[in-house]
Amino acid sequence: MKNLNHISGAPVTGRRYWRSLDELAETPEFKDWLHREFPQGASELEDGQSRRNFLKIMSAAFAFAGVAVMGSGCRRPEEALVPYGRQPENYTYGTAEYFATAMPTRTGAVPLVAKSYEGRPVKVEGNALFPNGNGGTDRYAQASILDLYDPDRARQFTQAGKKISRDEALAALGTLSAKFAANQGEGLVLLAESSTSPSRARLQKLIADKFPKAQWFTSDAIDSAIHQRAATQAFGQPVRPVFNFDQARVIVALDADFLGGEDDAHNHIRKFSQSRKPGETMNRLYAVESLFTLTGAAADHRLRVAASLVAPLAQALLNAVTGGGAVAVPGIDPKWIAACAKDLADNHGNSLVVAGQRQPLEVHLLAYAINSALGAIGKTVTLLPAIPAMGADLKNFDGTGTDTLVILGGNPVYHLNWAPKTKPATVVRLGYYNDETALKSDWVFPGTHYLESWGDAVTSEGITVPVQPLIQPLFGGLTELEFLARLAGEAVTNPHDIVRATFGVSEEAWKKILFQGFAAGSAPAAITAKFSGTAPTVKTVTPSASSLEVVFYRDAKVDDGRLANNGWMQELPDPITKMTWDNAVLVSRKTASELGVANGDIVEISLKGRTVSGPIWVQPGMADYSLGLALGYGRENAGRVGTGVGFNAYKIFSGSYVETGATIRKTGGTYTLACTQHHWSMEGRPAVREGNLEQFAQDFDFTKGYSEAAPPIVQSLYPNPLDEAKKTALHQWGMTIDLNACVGCGTCVVACQSENNIPIVGKDQVSRGREMHWLRIDRYFTTEPSRRKPADAFQTDENQQFEQWIDDVQAVNQPMLCQMCESAPCESVCPVNATVHDQEGLNVMAYNRCIGTRYCSNNCPYKVRRFNYLDYNKRPLTELKGPFYSTTLTHKTDGQWDLLRWWNDPNSGMRTEDEWDLIKLSKNPDVTVRMRGVMEKCTYCTQRIEQAKISQKAKAGASDNVRLKESEKTVPKTACQQACPAGAIVFGDVSDPDSQVAQLKLQKRNYSVLEELLTKPRTTYLARIRNPNPDMPDYRNWPYSHDEYEQLNGGTAEKKGNS
Amino acid sequence: MIFPKWTNWLPLVLGLGAALAGGGVVAGVTIYLTPKYTRAGYQPVQPVPFSHRIHAGQLGVDCRYCHNGVERSWFANLPGASTCMNCHNQVLKDDTRLQIVRDSAANNTPIPWVQIHKVPDYVYFNHSVHVDRGISCVECHGRVDQMDEVKHAKSFSMSFCLDCHRDPAAHIRPPDKVTSLGWQWGTNAAQTAELQEANGPKLVQAWKVESLQSCSACHR
Repeated sequence: MKNLNHISGAPVTGRRYWRSLDELAETPEFKDWLHREFPQGASELEDGQSRRNFLKIMSAAFAFAGVAVMGSGCRRPEEALVPYGRQPENYTYGTAEYFATAMPTRTGAVPLVAKSYEGRPVKVEGNALFPNGNGGTDRYAQASILDLYDPDRARQFTQAGKKISRDEALAALGTLSAKFAANQGEGLVLLAESSTSPSRARLQKLIADKFPKAQWFTSDAIDSAIHQRAATQAFGQPVRPVFNFDQARVIVALDADFLGGEDDAHNHIRKFSQSRKPGETMNRLYAVESLFTLTGAAADHRLRVAASLVAPLAQALLNAVTGGGAVAVPGIDPKWIAACAKDLADNHGNSLVVAGQRQPLEVHLLAYAINSALGAIGKTVTLLPAIPAMGADLKNFDGTGTDTLVILGGNPVYHLNWAPKTKPATVVRLGYYNDETALKSDWVFPGTHYLESWGDAVTSEGITVPVQPLIQPLFGGLTELEFLARLAGEAVTNPHDIVRATFGVSEEAWKKILFQGFAAGSAPAAITAKFSGTAPTVKTVTPSASSLEVVFYRDAKVDDGRLANNGWMQELPDPITKMTWDNAVLVSRKTASELGVANGDIVEISLKGRTVSGPIWVQPGMADYSLGLALGYGRENAGRVGTGVGFNAYKIFSGSYVETGATIRKTGGTYTLACTQHHWSMEGRPAVREGNLEQFAQDFDFTKGYSEAAPPIVQSLYPNPLDEAKKTALHQWGMTIDLNACVGCGTCVVACQSENNIPIVGKDQVSRGREMHWLRIDRYFTTEPSRRKPADAFQTDENQQFEQWIDDVQAVNQPMLCQMCESAPCESVCPVNATVHDQEGLNVMAYNRCIGTRYCSNNCPYKVRRFNYLDYNKRPLTELKGPFYSTTLTHKTDGQWDLLRWWNDPNSGMRTEDEWDLIKLSKNPDVTVRMRGVMEKCTYCTQRIEQAKISQKAKAGASDNVRLKESEKTVPKTACQQACPAGAIVFGDVSDPDSQVAQLKLQKRNYSVLEELLTKPRTTYLARIRNPNPDMPDYRNWPYSHDEYEQLNGGTAEKKGNS
Repeated sequence: MIFPKWTNWLPLVLGLGAALAGGGVVAGVTIYLTPKYTRAGYQPVQPVPFSHRIHAGQLGVDCRYCHNGVERSWFANLPGASTCMNCHNQVLKDDTRLQIVRDSAANNTPIPWVQIHKVPDYVYFNHSVHVDRGISCVECHGRVDQMDEVKHAKSFSMSFCLDCHRDPAAHIRPPDKVTSLGWQWGTNAAQTAELQEANGPKLVQAWKVESLQSCSACHR
């Protein structure tokens, strides 16, 4: 008999699903915390005022407000409607317009379609017309639109810190140009970031011709070009690789986080998920890594190994693949390497080895040697012509003889700790922010956002894409192209004309390129080449407690630091650590215990004479003696959001991403980190269900297999009103989320935030459990049940991070959003009917009815409802980091008390005027901006559904063709579904039996979370399938999560699923 | 005797007084704060003395000549001054009342018309779906073709919307008659009511017009 006691909250021994180390130990504090309705402090008012004082002042304020309302009457203020003077053609006010554009990245571009209302872009989406594209994007692209409306972006042209007019600045640029035209560019140095723009390359060549003595350097904080450099060396000609994960059956990632931190991850995710479909051709992923990454979480076999040991391991793998005999690698089971190599060799031509961009060149060469031996070149690795290197390495620059240094973009002062030995006479900077570099520059030119710029780029597949502006530069900034053209003294300085000239096609063809967002047929032919390098011999450097290894990695949120002032990214929980608003020193359990440090301890890391301090975070699955440091934090001059967040790991960074020889010292201080991972524990329920390919082949039923013993209620006493309403409704909406495709990248979270006007709340509020994300990604770690004694569950706080069995864990991700229950528990407890069902199966929220009792959130078993504790949209930006928040009574804006400002204009908020305008511009006009005291949650993007229905009905006119049909492509996509690069989220009409979502729900993998509560969710999940290799030493019959469930529930699931 | 006899009545008088006063306040607030009071009848003075009675009524200009986005957008746009000038570069071309319009068209400076009809920000009303599916302008805006200066004719309260959403058959008409504000099914009131009752449900059924009463229909 199955024991379902754990559902009632009774203590469970041997509970194994856990989301954090703290939770794992079931400390009394944690249990207490769990059982509170809301986290500690979440319901308490904690500002400088006492509650009594506050009430006194507020009652006075209300009295004033009453007088104000009566005095001015109840009429709304008079507002003007301002039509055009001259009506533009082909434009209807109030309808969205879509334009194809692209976001340039270091080594490529993300092709996009931007949605624009009344001339302002409000949302970016991937370009689904793009060859092989599915409309998916990455987190960075989704968040980039917020940068456009960032109130802290550079707005002025300055000279020596003083504002000058645009004309003056342009005249100065002209003077520079004339000066260097006269002396052939003597003393002119340009420093830029990598770019694939053909127009920039053309201008660069022009400058080189005109100013032959000028020098050009390239500098990137995150070096993604190593793939190209390695391929060029390996194949003896200028080539760059494209990894075809969709063609590969066996993939080995050598410290390559291709699904997370590497450039172009969204393309990798798309391709990976294509070959990841459960069945005969499902791929198998081996990950060798030191940090726990998304790639490691997706892997079938993950090997935890220090990053400096990846090189010898790669060599051993090469030896094994080429039959050269076994090579011992310290601490690695030789059977692992042998079985992995055999699997690779067995799939000759269909296997792929990828080296990570963190790894040194030797590892890349070894990977190409293996790929070459496996016949992968030309199949799973395609070679394309290299993008010409744009300039010399900055290391070769010492500033001697430099008269004028021109810095285009980037932020070298921050990320290189960089300063030339001799300071140039003049430093000219074109940049998007008034950042660390701008502070040290003499002339500052504000840059433009890509949504304000004409430009071009080449994607990783080699296709040329135009960058099309959606809006005039908000603050009159210059694009890089215009800046360079003016510096070169060109007659044509308009960036559109520059790009147009680079494309050089007919007007018709140009229009088509702009319409579809790419130049069809511009992809170069693949190059056939043979591996001509020699596999290097590598030294084995083994890190130890006295010589720790430091791994610097590109942050999943702020990139190299460029998105530090982007609130969406700061508040996005890290995909693995679930940390917001900070970075930390990630260490393994063993490292922490040997060094005597614990979560939150501030340590000082010394590496080759450089030091930096940061808080410790014990990360399950980390390699021993390895420190993981995210780059991009600790900005000193990022803006009001990003300044002072985290610590600056660049301080000890010297260009190589893996270094050994570090030591750490406890400083004695502690630091609070705001993680979302403690929240909403599932307490051992089978929220995520997994099986191996073997069980999938045997048709295991993931619903019956887990919940046959649920209460056998067939018919409720009370009929569900939805059952009646369904009969006349046109559609019934539903969703499936394929946990097998989802890698947990977090793009959907940002897309949802962008689409639905979700505010950021700040670190202080996140640590109180008040984050507002409608869609979160739950990440669970699972472990082998036999490794943990039940008694271990009750250890104290200090000991929990030092349990041995957290070393090797499996991770699973689960996007969690409103499940749109047909019998929704939230609805029955709402005293004001603010949340009810509509006839199409949506659990809707009427914000204006909500009085904020929070009963619904309390009664929601999935914990997906969010409450606006404060008026987050009106809070001052400076107060995001806490610990206090302002009220209109305690805060001044622009030197004026907010109460007075509010008196004059009730909509003023605690933000300055110009800031306020930008914030309004950034909002999606289709979605209500919620204020304080209102509950909110995922709506299945009801605005998109309504718009689709409305346009179908308007089209239908006097006919009955009003139903949205998937076959006619009229069914809308939700924002998360649209953005997902893996295609894991499918939304549609479940009452249409031919719809994709209805078909998916028929699969045996389909299950509902907490189905025993009979909430009948419309959102269901498809179980994750792993594909482990039976020959591997770490092979298990079932994934850990299933074993844990079996142990808890008496081993019945397997039998039932097969019956 | 400390209290005189009349004090026996005091509690009753006080109670009655309080009830009257309270009732008065409630009644006052109810009337004063309803959309019927706050909106209906609103008739601001516009920057240009444009007469809908002359244009839409006497001259018979179709609503969609000027409000040309109404069939495609949520918003029934106000025409740009260039639209006015299509006629007024010939008609009344030197009239001083039209100086603002001529300036607007010449300099592309907008005319600040005063907004009359407005639903709250949390209501997402869409003109196109109503107009394209046989709901006439007159249902919400009244006989604009008889107004010199436009006046807010109906209350625009939530119950006003729901009255129609609960029974679209009572308001629907053939789509080609949507902008004919004076059009009626019959020649007299009784015949009109009879024909509406006969034809309305037929149209609703034939076009699959939904009677949408859930929150998501208007609130997002």
